[in-house]
Order: sequence, then structure tokens, then C-alpha cells
Amino acid sequence: MTTNPATRGAEATAESALRLLEGGNARLVTLFGSVDPDGAKRVHYIVDVNREYRSISVPVTGALPSATRISPAAAWHERELHEQYGIEIDGHPDLRPLFSHAADYRFLQVQGVGVCELPVGPVHAGIIEPGHFRFSVMGDSVLHLEPRLFYTHKGTEKLFEGAGIMNGQALAESVSGDNCFAHAVAYCQSVENAFGISVPPRGRAIRLLGLELERMMAHIGDVGALCGDVGCAVPAAYNSRIKESLLQASARFFGTRYWRGIAIPGGVRRDISTEDARAFGKVVAHAAADFAEMAQLILDTPSVQNRFEETGVLSNKIARDLGAVGPVARSSGVRIDVRRDHPYGHYRNITIEIPHFPQGDVLARARMRIEETRISARLIQEMLNGLAAGIHRTPVPREGSAEGFSAVESPRGELLYWIRIGNGRIIRCHIKSPSFQNWPCLPFAVDGNISADFPLINKSFNLSYSGCDR
Amino acid sequence: MIFDFVNRSLRSPSVLVSVEELIANSQGSRMPDVRSEVLTATIARRVVEACGLSALAIEDADGRMTLSLDYGKCTGCGECIEAGEGAFLLAESVSCGVSRQSLIRRWDVEGRAEILTCEEELSASAREIRSIVGRALNIRQVDGGSCNGCEAEIGALSNPYYDLERFGIHFVASPKHADMLLVTGPITSNMAEAVKRTYEATPAPKLVVAVGACGCSGGIFAASSAVSGSVDAVIPVDAYIPGCPPTPAMLLTGILRTLRRR
Repeated sequence: MTTNPATRGAEATAESALRLLEGGNARLVTLFGSVDPDGAKRVHYIVDVNREYRSISVPVTGALPSATRISPAAAWHERELHEQYGIEIDGHPDLRPLFSHAADYRFLQVQGVGVCELPVGPVHAGIIEPGHFRFSVMGDSVLHLEPRLFYTHKGTEKLFEGAGIMNGQALAESVSGDNCFAHAVAYCQSVENAFGISVPPRGRAIRLLGLELERMMAHIGDVGALCGDVGCAVPAAYNSRIKESLLQASARFFGTRYWRGIAIPGGVRRDISTEDARAFGKVVAHAAADFAEMAQLILDTPSVQNRFEETGVLSNKIARDLGAVGPVARSSGVRIDVRRDHPYGHYRNITIEIPHFPQGDVLARARMRIEETRISARLIQEMLNGLAAGIHRTPVPREGSAEGFSAVESPRGELLYWIRIGNGRIIRCHIKSPSFQNWPCLPFAVDGNISADFPLINKSFNLSYSGCDR
Repeated sequence: MIFDFVNRSLRSPSVLVSVEELIANSQGSRMPDVRSEVLTATIARRVVEACGLSALAIEDADGRMTLSLDYGKCTGCGECIEAGEGAFLLAESVSCGVSRQSLIRRWDVEGRAEILTCEEELSASAREIRSIVGRALNIRQVDGGSCNGCEAEIGALSNPYYDLERFGIHFVASPKHADMLLVTGPITSNMAEAVKRTYEATPAPKLVVAVGACGCSGGIFAASSAVSGSVDAVIPVDAYIPGCPPTPAMLLTGILRTLRRR
């Protein structure tokens, strides 16, 4: 959707944005800065009010009143704003830098007899992304965890600037490599919204296929990895096999394992024949049935139940306060999903089942992924059975200036791209990744658990470092 | 309960991919190849224009027009294939586990033929490691700031299709146990020090393999002020595996090729 002109102009102030957040049913989606052509700084608030995105853009003249006091979900966004735009934030409790890693960074210290500090990372023991965790432990128990991230910060938002609008999706695909299709689609939709372009039905359908397949692959992989973390090696190996079968089907029918190079502003670059669609559907159906059977065995295993249940609880209150999104939020009883709340593309034409669990523990997050895999597989079948005919791509003007944003429900949750275009080139691109919002939730789920359960809890959140760090 | 899992697994046929199918197979990587017999100067200029990452370039060698394709920079975006009027197609095989120079191929445009270079020698450290470890190789994977795409594919090497352990290769948790570091990039400014220290913590003889377009050249992030660049901008590198991301087959080919086991 394009920015509502009614919220721009003289009457929009930071105070009005904060008042919006104070009312019930308001959730801060993102908050970021931009610079006008005349050099004036501007802050943009995007707030979800009763399932409607409101965008408020405010010129910055002096210090900004902190939104964090009203909504703690704003804490990291305002730290970023302060660090990258040099804007003073009045009343923010913690303005330590996120991106620049100075040696004198002060971790929160837990003091007392018997308290030990355990530093872990940035280089981790497995095949995973880098980040630093500082545990304060007493015996086996974690008293406090403080993550320090942004080791994979690549200045991605800055790299968008100056790129042609038809090239941005390649960069979007490299923001979070295992959710690359969701990123590419969110980027493309923001361009389409800015220019008011409507993607042909077949293009929308193929995008839905890719988005749901990406969700299936992510969730199947995650459930397998959770099993691996509790020493349940056979289902871990078996799930990696199911995931690989979907990757190979993607390579066979779409020429790419992770759906790179498919999304493009205006639609998609690949079509699928009726025959291939049928064969692809068979692979997905087989994988889904296989996974459902395996998932039931996993959930019925006492040693798995013992490790998953009541481990790493994220309370509903913390999840709401910190603006958690995606499967993490839904596993703590927060019923939000962009596909239902702000439908886009083909999701406008369908009703979607949104599972939710109130417990907030590792088991809830595992069951959430199992349920969502089942639903995604069904959506893919429905899509393939009634694949709209016609073209899959429509032209996009290479010139023109506009502004727009768009969100998709990535496997990790609400992912939003906001772009400003000038003469066919990107002037500013802001990425709100679900992991940026969910990372601050993790310590609350870890505190009070034993340190040996940390890998399991962390895996159950499955947050992207690169997506968060950008 | 665990017997239910085993029983369930045993009922499914093996999916193990044969070595022959994996080696030198780059299908699914979206990397391009050139049909030199239909290459023209016009096409060469057009694809160089279309390539957003300057992986394609026109060089002038003794007055003859040469087209170069640097797989170390290529992300497989497909622009050259769209612009190449049939002279560009998807590659079946791309060199992996070779030197940085060997990732660059050149074509004599007027002569419509590839300019071939000779095979390089096995490095001293690769020879030494091969003589010490024989068929066993311990790899420590290091993420120097990647998007996680390469990690996803490196992780896939352990699944039942590729089963890296059948080659006597496995991933270890500490650089101190490693013979080879498999490093992805781009190396960000915030990770440069950690990558250097990981390298120093690895006992000699050691091999470093740079993985992915970003690891080989900085890739799509090469111009960013927040990154140090390719892996070799920070630590010495023995061999390179291109791709965005490289497929599991390319990774496996590259690892074996670095030791000349294939």
C-alpha cells in the first residue's frame, strides 16, 4: 500500500504516533529514518491498528520522544535510529550501539556470590550464523542472557540506494538466505504498491506456491533440528531427507533450490506447465504425508516431550510487549499473521487457517511448525489444482517516483519492505525483518532455564542473524 | 519408541546420490555457460551491459576481443541468459575447489572458441594434508557474515542424499580439530577479527576454502562499506567454490577437488 497522504504534512508529529501506540489494539510494526532531498531527517512509524497498517511520517527537528516507554517493541528500532541517523531519543532506557562494535561495550552485569559469566560466540560450534551470547549463570541455571548481534551487518539497506527497481530483488534475496523468496516477494510487492501495479493472477498464484513451499521447507528443517538438539537422531535425519526432496523438486521444476531469481517486480520469471504442476504436487503431497507421520512419532516420544514441554517459555505478555511476530508469537497465544490480517497477492482470495498455542514453550513452537506445514501443503495443493491461466508477469515502469511498502508472512513472521523510488531508482529501502523483532524476546524465554537447554530454545525460535543484522 | 522411527526409516528406499552423479554437477545452481560457436561481439557487449555484478567483462588481448566470465562474482541471476540470444545457457558443470584465477573463463569472440588454460598444481599444504589424513578430513565451517544461504546448503551435505561422512569427511565443532576451514562471506567488518582468530587457532597444515560468490569476491556486497570483502581479503585461501549459493554437489566437488581426490 502507498503511504496515506492524510498522515503526512504539518499535523503529523511524533506525539501523534505515540498517542496511536497508547491506544489499545495498536502494535508497532517498524520505525525508521530517512533523509529528504533537502537533507532534512524524517522518521517513519508503521503501526498496526486493528489489522490496518497506518504509516506516519514525521520531520525531525530536535530530540524525539521515545516510543519505547509506551511500547518496548520500539527499543531496538530507536537504538538503530539513534546510531544511524544521530537522532536524539528522549527517555530511551538504553541507547548502546547495535551495529558498531566498539571494545568498550558494556554488558549488563549480574552480581553476587557464585554468579559466573559465560561468553559464547561469535563463532559458534555448528554450521550456523555468528553472534555473541553472554550468559550469567549460577550453577546450571541461566540468570540472564544478553545477546550481542549484528556481526553479519552488511550495510544492505544502504546498498539498495541507487539500484534500479528491477535489480533490488537480487539484493533482497541475499538478506536472509533461507527465506530468500519471502524477501524477494516483499520487495517486489513494495515496488508494485508504490506504482499501483497489479500482478496477474497466475503470477500471484506462483508466488503463493513459492511462499508456502519455503514455509514448509523451513518448518520441516526446524522440527528436524529440534529433534537433533535432544539427541533424537533418526527423525532429525529423516526430516532433512524430506526437506531435501522439496529442494530437489524446486530445482527440477523451477530451476532453483531456494527459489532465487523467480520473483521480479510485476510477477514471476518462471511459469510451470500443467504436467509439471501435477508432478510437483505429487512430491509435495508425499513430503507432507511423510512429515505428518514422522511428526506424530516425534510428539509421541516421551524423551522428546520431556525436553520440549515447559522449556523456554515466552509469556503472552512479553510477546505482546515486545511485538513478537510469526510462529513465535502464535505459540505464545498472540494471534497475528500477515496472510490473514493484511492479505496480499492471492491470499486476498482465500481464507486461511491460523493455528495458535497458548503455552509459549518449545513444544508449542514445535507443534506450531508441524501444524503450519500441514496447512501450507494443503494450500499448495489447492493452488495447483486451480492454477489460474494467463500471463505470469506484467510490465513495470522503469521511470517514475513513488513511495510504498508491503508486508508478507515469511516463515519467521511479518516481513516488511518500505521503499522510496526516484526516477526508477531506489532512494531508500527499509527492511523490517521478523527476527529483528523477535531477537529481544529470546532472553526472556531463556532466563531461569538450564544453560544446556539454550541450544534447544534458540533453535525453537529459529531466528535469522543475517535478516536481523542486514 | 525409537524403534518406530527406525522401522519407519527402514521402510523407505535409500536416496543416496551416487558419486558419479555429484561430481562436477552444477545443475540447479543457475550459473551460466557460453556456447562459443554462436557468440558474437554484439552479444558479448550486450551481456556485459546486462550483468549487474561485473562478472562478465570484455578484454582486449593483442587486438582480439576477449569475453571473460568470472564465476567467483556470478550469482546466477540469469540476466546474461535472458540477454544472450541463445549464446548463454545454464551450466551443467562449473569448476569448484580451484584457484581464484581458474574461476575465470575466457572466450576469443571473433574466433568463437574458449581460450583454455592448463591445469594447476596441487598446493604444498594440500599435498601435506592428503599425505597425513589420507581419506579422513575434518572441516570447521566458519560463517564470516553470509546471508545463511551457503550455510543452508553446507548443512544439506549431511542429509541422507549426500551423506558427506561416506567420504570420511565430517564437520567438527572447534577449529583446533580442523584440517580445513570452509569459510563463507562476505567477511563483514564485525567478523574480520573473529575469522582471523579462528584461522590462527587452526593447527598447520591447514586448508582454507572460500565458499560462495560472497566468499570468493564479496559478491553482491563487495561495494558495501560495512564489509571487508572476500575471504582472501582477511586470511590466506587455498581454493574457491563459487555459486549463490553453491549446490551441495558443487560443495562436495570443491572439497574433494581441493585435495585432488577427484
